[in-house]
Amino acid sequence: MSTEVRRARARQMLIFLLVCVGMLALLGRLYYWQVVEAYSGHKLALLASQEHIHDQVLTASRGLIYDANGLVLATNVVRDDVYIEPVQFSEDHPDDLQEALSQTLTALHSVLPTLSVAETRRAFMEALAANRWSLLIARAVSPQQSERLRELALPAVFLAPQTERIYPQGDLAAQVLGYVGYVSGSSSQQGVYGIEAQYNSLLAGKPGSLTAERDLYGNPLVVGASSEEPPVPGANLTLTIDSTIQYFVQTQLATTVKQLGAQGGTVVVLDAHTGAVVAMAGYPSYDPNQYGRYADQTGCLHSEEVYLNPALYCAYEPGSTLKAVTMAAALDQGLITPNTTIYDRGYLTFNDGTPMVTNWQNQAWGRETMTEVLVHSANVGAAYVAHDLLGPARYYPYLARFGFGLRTGIDSPEATGFYRRPGSPGWTPSDLARQAFGQSILATPLQVALAYQAIANDGLMMRPYLVSAIDANGHVTRIQPQVVRRVISSKAAHELTSMLEVAAIDGSAQRALVPGYTVAAKTGTATTQGISEDQTEASVAGFLPASHPRFVILVKLDRPQASIYGGTAAAPLWKTIAQELMWYYHVPPDQSQ
Amino acid sequence: MHYASGGQKKAPTRPIVAARRRRQLHPFFFQMGPVALTISSVLLIALMALLYLSQLSQALNVNQQIQDYQAKQAVLQRQNQDLVNTLAQEQSPAYIAAHAQAQGLVPADPKAVEVLEVPGLQSVPNQQSGAAP
Repeated sequence: MSTEVRRARARQMLIFLLVCVGMLALLGRLYYWQVVEAYSGHKLALLASQEHIHDQVLTASRGLIYDANGLVLATNVVRDDVYIEPVQFSEDHPDDLQEALSQTLTALHSVLPTLSVAETRRAFMEALAANRWSLLIARAVSPQQSERLRELALPAVFLAPQTERIYPQGDLAAQVLGYVGYVSGSSSQQGVYGIEAQYNSLLAGKPGSLTAERDLYGNPLVVGASSEEPPVPGANLTLTIDSTIQYFVQTQLATTVKQLGAQGGTVVVLDAHTGAVVAMAGYPSYDPNQYGRYADQTGCLHSEEVYLNPALYCAYEPGSTLKAVTMAAALDQGLITPNTTIYDRGYLTFNDGTPMVTNWQNQAWGRETMTEVLVHSANVGAAYVAHDLLGPARYYPYLARFGFGLRTGIDSPEATGFYRRPGSPGWTPSDLARQAFGQSILATPLQVALAYQAIANDGLMMRPYLVSAIDANGHVTRIQPQVVRRVISSKAAHELTSMLEVAAIDGSAQRALVPGYTVAAKTGTATTQGISEDQTEASVAGFLPASHPRFVILVKLDRPQASIYGGTAAAPLWKTIAQELMWYYHVPPDQSQ
Repeated sequence: MHYASGGQKKAPTRPIVAARRRRQLHPFFFQMGPVALTISSVLLIALMALLYLSQLSQALNVNQQIQDYQAKQAVLQRQNQDLVNTLAQEQSPAYIAAHAQAQGLVPADPKAVEVLEVPGLQSVPNQQSGAAP
């Protein structure tokens, strides 16, 4: 073999080896990407599948809320958020960015008048500098604005539909309903306060999912290899609230609060036999469609957020309205009858160190029956019954039976109220004497209304409820009235009703009387220790028609100025609401005028 | 060819091999050479590809239709929700009261109402279901 041939073969061998080395390197690299990297946490496989697999969460539509007549109180609508794409926009306008941006923002401003051109331009430039893909420039625009923006087809501007919770009735029953919004620690919207919070899991439904390949435009290819779990829509709720009555109560309460210069007020209307809440209103209130605007507002004498339902949270000293409970305890145990008499000197002293109890303005009523104790709203008579006749052992079980200091069980978040009892830190017999006429005890308006509901319902306390039916995709569950417990005997309830009737006619609740109907009611005027005595909680609690009770009404006004007493401030509103209820529900009169 | 049983002659192997080769070269009823077989195979594959593409095209069309329907459904749902909202607003007591006032109506004066007691009179049942609590 010649030298030339050997050299040629050596060159061939070298080239062959080089090719082999190159091939081995390529194979090694291929192994690295396809085997080592692809299966080390499936990063590449995941990225590859993300390129062509569409994975979407299908949101479930939130259930609607209806009133007792089928009127929609809460629904959902789709509204568009408006975005602009800063990076895309700058790429589309490399030479005339500022000019094009001005034109686009001017066009946007013509459709969205609240949009500030200067502010949006500044935000745009910041987003561009930060290389942000999109910038939100308007949230939840109206359908008309959406339509106009679609017609304009502005470059690098797009609309993103979002589902919004809407309350078509505005502020109607806002504190009962609550609202839907973002809460800290959660990326999705959920019910906040009221029914929206209490029934959030039912209303929210269950989201579904869709996994499918994408087409060229990124749309899911639902034909072929795809998997879909459809969302389960949220359940629809029907409330016991009657919008007509609720509206009437709310507007009358707001008018009265303003007329009397009060700080606020609460009204509760219950069905006397079932415990269903017919209306529940508080003032001040808010519009759940714009809940953010009320973040700095407070209710319940500035002690609570305005979002909280004062009927369930705003505990107060019920004052003389609680005398009915004291009488109920004594009647039920046979310690008094409506005609039992005491001698009322206008004050009552005790041997156990309890401070002296006096009547309003130290009024002495002389010999008076128990019915007259209610008519005169005599603190002396009530304290005598609780302290001298009942005593702690026979009085406190009745406070508990009437539900004071306990949750009522209503299907909404609520406070329990508070009172000291034997065994509680700081309890003295003085508490017992004062609790007899509604001091030294904190109760929510609903608790007081419920106590009167038990009296109206032959002594049976019902569980108050707001939701009457739950429609979970056609499966309807109707909520039945529930008896909580027998509080007093039927006989005691009837005797007390008669006493309250007389108290309404001859006592301080005369302005609550409704022509044609018998009324059983008691007023309350509570003062707070440490502040002026003219700063009162004026209230009336009662029911009508007294002969066949249909509705229990509690009216409470916080620190009215023009008139400070339950009988003068709260009673007229009580009467207005009672009269409307009788007419609206066609309740036949039980008394000639 | 058959032979009587007990015969000592072996059956010839050549014709069997020939038949086997014939079956390999002519698998169907008609005769086909290697070139024809290749062309047929290519054509068959092409036909299958065509069928596949046709099916794929149909699937994409159907998918597009479904997407169009879904888009229409979304628009209709959106319109429906807006209508429900509008209806609820216009049925609201506040809206009705405002429009009644705009038309000059005023709330009834409770003092002007006279209540008459008619012994034995029953209330008129409310025709609207659910109106009574």
